[in-house]
Amino acid sequence: MSSDYGHDDHHPSAWGPHDWHHGAPHNSWAPIIMSAGFAIFLFTLGGAYEWGEFVSSTYALMIFVSLGVIGLGILIWWRQDFSFDGSYEPKSFGAPYQNIDIRKVAVWVFLMSEMMVFTSLFSTYIRYRTGIENCKTVFESGNWVEGTAVTCFEPASHLIASSWFHLAPGAINTFALIISSFTIVQALRYAKKKDLDENTRRRKVTMFLGTTWLLAIIFLALKMIEWFIGFPTPGPLTELNHGHTEIASLYTEGYLINADSYQHHYYNTHYFEDHDMELPAGLVGHSGGQMMADIQVSASTFYVTTGTHGAHVLGGIVVLTYMTFKAMNGGYTPKNAVGIEYFGLYWHFVDLVWVLVFPFFYLY
Amino acid sequence: MNTKLSRGLIATLLIISAMLVIPSTTSQPAGIEGIGSGGCNCHGPSPDSRVSVVLDGVPESYNYSETYNLTVSFSGGPTSPENMNQGGFHLYTSHGELGVVDGTAQVWNSNELSHTEAGNDQTSWDVTWKAPQTDSNVEFVLHVNSVNGNADGVAGGTSGDYWNRLSIQISGPIEVLEQADPFVVLTVLILVSAILLALTLTYVFYSRDPESFDWEKFGPWISDWLTTTDHKKIGTLYFVAGLFFLGVGGIMALLIRIQLSVPGNDFLTQEQYNQFFTLHGTTMIFLAAMPMINGFANWMVPLQIGAPDLALPRINAMSFWLQPFAAILIFTGVFSGAGADTGWTGYAPYVVSEGAHAGTTMWAAGQILLVASSTLTGVNFLTTIAVMRAEGMGWMQMPLFTWSIMIANVMLFLSIPAFGIGLIQVFLDRVIGTAFYDIAAGGDPLLWSHLFWYFGHPEVYVVIVPSFGIISEVIATSARRSIFGYRSMVYALAGIGVVAFIVYGHHMFTSGMSPSLRFITMLTTMLVAVPTGIKIFNWLMTMNGGSLVYRTHTLWALGFLVTFTLGGFSGMFFPSIAMDTHLHESYFVVAHFHYVLVGGTVFGFFAGIYYWWPKATGKMLSERLGALHFLTAFISYNALFWPMHRLGVWGMTRRHHTYFVTTEEALGSLPMEAAGWNMFISVSAFIFFFSNFIMVGNMIISSIRGVDAPADPWGSWSFEWMTTSPPPTPSFGHFDGEKWHDLPKLKDANDHIANEPGVIARWFERLMVPNDELGGHSE
Amino acid sequence: MTEKAGHLSGGFRPVRLVNMSVTTVIFETLWNEYIFWSLVVGAIAFGWLYHHSFWYLSKSGEVGSTENIDDLQVGVFPRHNDNIKLEVAWTLLPFILIIYLTYISWAPLDAMWTSPIDGNHGGECEEGESSNNRILEGSRGIIRSDCYHIIEITAQQWFWSFDCLDLSTEICDTDIESMEVYGSVPELFLKRGETYLANMTSLDVTHAPWFQHLGTKEDTVPGQNTQLWLPITLDMTEESMILCAEYCGDAHSVMAGKLSVHD
Repeated sequence: MSSDYGHDDHHPSAWGPHDWHHGAPHNSWAPIIMSAGFAIFLFTLGGAYEWGEFVSSTYALMIFVSLGVIGLGILIWWRQDFSFDGSYEPKSFGAPYQNIDIRKVAVWVFLMSEMMVFTSLFSTYIRYRTGIENCKTVFESGNWVEGTAVTCFEPASHLIASSWFHLAPGAINTFALIISSFTIVQALRYAKKKDLDENTRRRKVTMFLGTTWLLAIIFLALKMIEWFIGFPTPGPLTELNHGHTEIASLYTEGYLINADSYQHHYYNTHYFEDHDMELPAGLVGHSGGQMMADIQVSASTFYVTTGTHGAHVLGGIVVLTYMTFKAMNGGYTPKNAVGIEYFGLYWHFVDLVWVLVFPFFYLY
Repeated sequence: MNTKLSRGLIATLLIISAMLVIPSTTSQPAGIEGIGSGGCNCHGPSPDSRVSVVLDGVPESYNYSETYNLTVSFSGGPTSPENMNQGGFHLYTSHGELGVVDGTAQVWNSNELSHTEAGNDQTSWDVTWKAPQTDSNVEFVLHVNSVNGNADGVAGGTSGDYWNRLSIQISGPIEVLEQADPFVVLTVLILVSAILLALTLTYVFYSRDPESFDWEKFGPWISDWLTTTDHKKIGTLYFVAGLFFLGVGGIMALLIRIQLSVPGNDFLTQEQYNQFFTLHGTTMIFLAAMPMINGFANWMVPLQIGAPDLALPRINAMSFWLQPFAAILIFTGVFSGAGADTGWTGYAPYVVSEGAHAGTTMWAAGQILLVASSTLTGVNFLTTIAVMRAEGMGWMQMPLFTWSIMIANVMLFLSIPAFGIGLIQVFLDRVIGTAFYDIAAGGDPLLWSHLFWYFGHPEVYVVIVPSFGIISEVIATSARRSIFGYRSMVYALAGIGVVAFIVYGHHMFTSGMSPSLRFITMLTTMLVAVPTGIKIFNWLMTMNGGSLVYRTHTLWALGFLVTFTLGGFSGMFFPSIAMDTHLHESYFVVAHFHYVLVGGTVFGFFAGIYYWWPKATGKMLSERLGALHFLTAFISYNALFWPMHRLGVWGMTRRHHTYFVTTEEALGSLPMEAAGWNMFISVSAFIFFFSNFIMVGNMIISSIRGVDAPADPWGSWSFEWMTTSPPPTPSFGHFDGEKWHDLPKLKDANDHIANEPGVIARWFERLMVPNDELGGHSE
Repeated sequence: MTEKAGHLSGGFRPVRLVNMSVTTVIFETLWNEYIFWSLVVGAIAFGWLYHHSFWYLSKSGEVGSTENIDDLQVGVFPRHNDNIKLEVAWTLLPFILIIYLTYISWAPLDAMWTSPIDGNHGGECEEGESSNNRILEGSRGIIRSDCYHIIEITAQQWFWSFDCLDLSTEICDTDIESMEVYGSVPELFLKRGETYLANMTSLDVTHAPWFQHLGTKEDTVPGQNTQLWLPITLDMTEESMILCAEYCGDAHSVMAGKLSVHD
């Protein structure tokens, strides 16, 4: 009897695409599948690693399975939404906010929670930055002996802001994000323009969404370079970089979450001698040598905070992929262009957070 | 079979198999590699027969649960005329629990112990071994190393450091009956409850339409429940999950009470007990109370404000489905016998220490999902309540239950990200090895306490405030009056919502936090009594001049007033720091929060269930059974928790596996009467637990042969009583592809009528509705 | 309260509730005061509840429109039922009570967290000097001393280590005591009339020694130092338990110590 269950107009398929002319609610498999995916992801991650040690490759493989499950959930979600042409854009119907977009309010509300997420991360950062003695202070005060690690706070900015070359990826990223905030607004502008013909709109919106997508990718790529890969110094500029042909990544610099014996050339009395620099006053009469530091807390704070921001960018990329694809198919019209605005609000927020993260973690 | 159904089936199978995989892969407590199987990562490469190892005090066959004193000693080793042989040891047992008697030995986990720094360099050590509760062949493996000062001058050097190994096997008394492992009991009970639940639900499906009960229809029926985005169905799912976990948490509470019924009991081992109280707390707060609040909110908020559904129905489904998966993660450890044992507060650094059971990782992971779920719920309800109210319903015309959900979600929404970040830090510490709470690296345990309680205190208001809303509705309706002081009720709710964020320090009065912060939170905590007092007096005054109709929900509401007020009194003792230093972490605290969380929250839920059941199901509940439920549960509840106050003042400590009583005032710390009271509490706990099945029975009977409910059985005013019982989908109006039609409008019996929008609302509106080219729209 | 407090310093104890194990005067006076006000407020609230529950009983017991006092109708926001005077009254009266309760809870704080430098307990004792502590007259149990002794408490899973530093064995001593129920536990011997400042830390996770008959506890936090005043007054019970109050792992419940005091 139920052979045409899925084709009944009033029971749109839970796998998508939806018939949006009947309003909500629509059944959907996406929530349960995505939830399962997230649970499996955390479970397998917790099974693959323990205390920073890789313990199980079975679990590690399962992580990819979980990502597949999450992806399946997202695909179902998109498949349902792909047909969305703005005919069911829920609007407030009661006084006093009659006719405002409900989902826009929801995005704003959601951003309140995001504020608290980053506030908590910054609280952690401020607690540790102010509560643990700075490595540079410890080094210059001479309260250390060679061969024994001291616990101190080493801000990533000490490495990054020490040279323009280290700072380059972060600086480029800042501009990439700011430009992407501009391009997303351009996409919205063209999608909203009523006097454009369909083809031009499709082209423009696709182009600007695609540019935003590309800038986000650049952001993450540069982040990976900065964290793990490093890059060669451009030939003519080698001189400026004290003759080094390679800009080391934070990874090769030893700025790691498990760095309990971190060593940096700056924290070496020989460095001062070799460069004919004056030894800090506290080190006069010190036995000298290389200071070892336990900087696990500093590195954890840095990686988790900037990583959380990176995860938000990654989330943005996931959504942008869908939106670009939809735009390519001419999916955005003035009627449903507000969807781009919802994403834009989020994207501006991510941009704004970076503007805070950058000075706190990269510059000072 | 059609493709739709088969796809649904495949998805269901995938999910079920995923669920099966999860519990079977265990996270075993990590041991030292090779110790059990014969290797030794001691100092030298191979055992040396010149060291002779002795383990004294091991019985030939043991008695269950008896504790034996063992002595580890050795002789021989590297000879050196001027130095005595000294060394250390490592003892492993395959069953039972090893314990220490003094500072010379330390427990690694229940079946491994070793010498401490203080016990380094000795030749004999005293330890204890508590025999297991089951019959098994027990193996002891002892490694001892003997050193001769620093003969070769190198720490960990081999020439002056010999070791040897000893293995002893003993058997248990086989004539005694096997005793079931409490974990097995718990697991079986959970499974049995789950199966019963599934059978009941299937029966409900069957009883709706017995004629055509077949697989063809069952597929779409079940997949409809799994994929639904209707707020009423999701509300029902929340209820099913919430009541189920209320039962699971209750079973754990009963096991705890069996353990505590007599002093010095060993029904549960320390490890098991620690896991049970941890999971009892986590389950009750996050998996029982929160889903039930969401159940009420899902069902009633859209109905009360006249909305067709929530703002984001699919996000709402996502909020729900994260919860069962989170529950599976939280319970993962239990299935493998190494569940989280951190307390629901999960204080750092214990929570990130290797001493905490392996299940703690998944406990944190599960709660991360719950944080995500609550965030999505918050977005949904705040948006819905802010912009989807019916015409004529300004902020000050909202039913109080909707107000309470609004305030609860504001609190939850602004506080839970801190908890989420704390959990992510803990999870990452335990998984990828970050060092947020690594003390040696400079981590600060108090940071976790701050992040946790910044969330944790608003959270306890989050679970009580919706009950305030329910009670406001029930008392006003039962007394046939409008609520006394509607405005002051709203302001009191909002006041609680604001104060909630600045009082959390009272959980940290003895934590080493700065005294000035403690003092400030003492003042703010005292303030909480004011808005709460306003609410209680307003409820009382609502009855004044009324015409009280006694229904089951009325009984529960009046019962709530009694128990919640009592809980409020005991709450006043904590902000007084000079008393709190004694009462903190005692049973007085346990009594207090059960008075507000059971006597407040759960009684409010019961009132709400009896009140809205006819609306949700279209069937009336039996008043006779309801009154019986109230009487038995209310009396046994008070018998259960009231004596705990006294126990706490006497000095009974929270989270202690057992306690001791003696006539001598000091030794054992509790007077003799404490034993009797504990037994009384345990018996009452059983009565309370089972009395709630009267309600379950009432629900089942009502579903099968209940009288059909009218649209407005109690005579209230809000919108939910306007639709049919049960309400249609969408709950109000219809959508024609462009706009909603036939949505309800609220009239106002007061002449001033809505002066909305007010100043803030106008500002908000300007912010939200820019009428420019980019952001606005052309209407 | 003046006369009462006068008695206190003379060794007289205020009325004690049955079997109360805490011996501090601060706790008992506060406790009695709070219980008193709970009874007062409880009598009002419960009397009110009891009266209204029966007095305003519905005549017919049914949901009839005749008894619908405020004319509640579905879909109509009901008439306001309020009385600003009453509402202000039960905002202000509890507030005043709260202020009073805060006031009486405030005073002991100075004593509890008094500074080790010239606070209530003076400075550190010279060798041979006695604290000579006594309850301040008219103070509800605030204790003053001439000077104090410093001891150290170190916690680790799952036992306490007490360290008397270089105090004489008369003032402070430690031992291992075998108790029937907790096995062997560390024992701390202190002297009546002396005041001690415990410098505390933990080697692994957070613990908290609950000096049960002193009614006080404070977390021992790894990586940090916390302090706890232990004023042993003349009427301190001879033997009492020190239990761990902050959950610390498997053997948390048997992490015990014993406090013995002598004259």
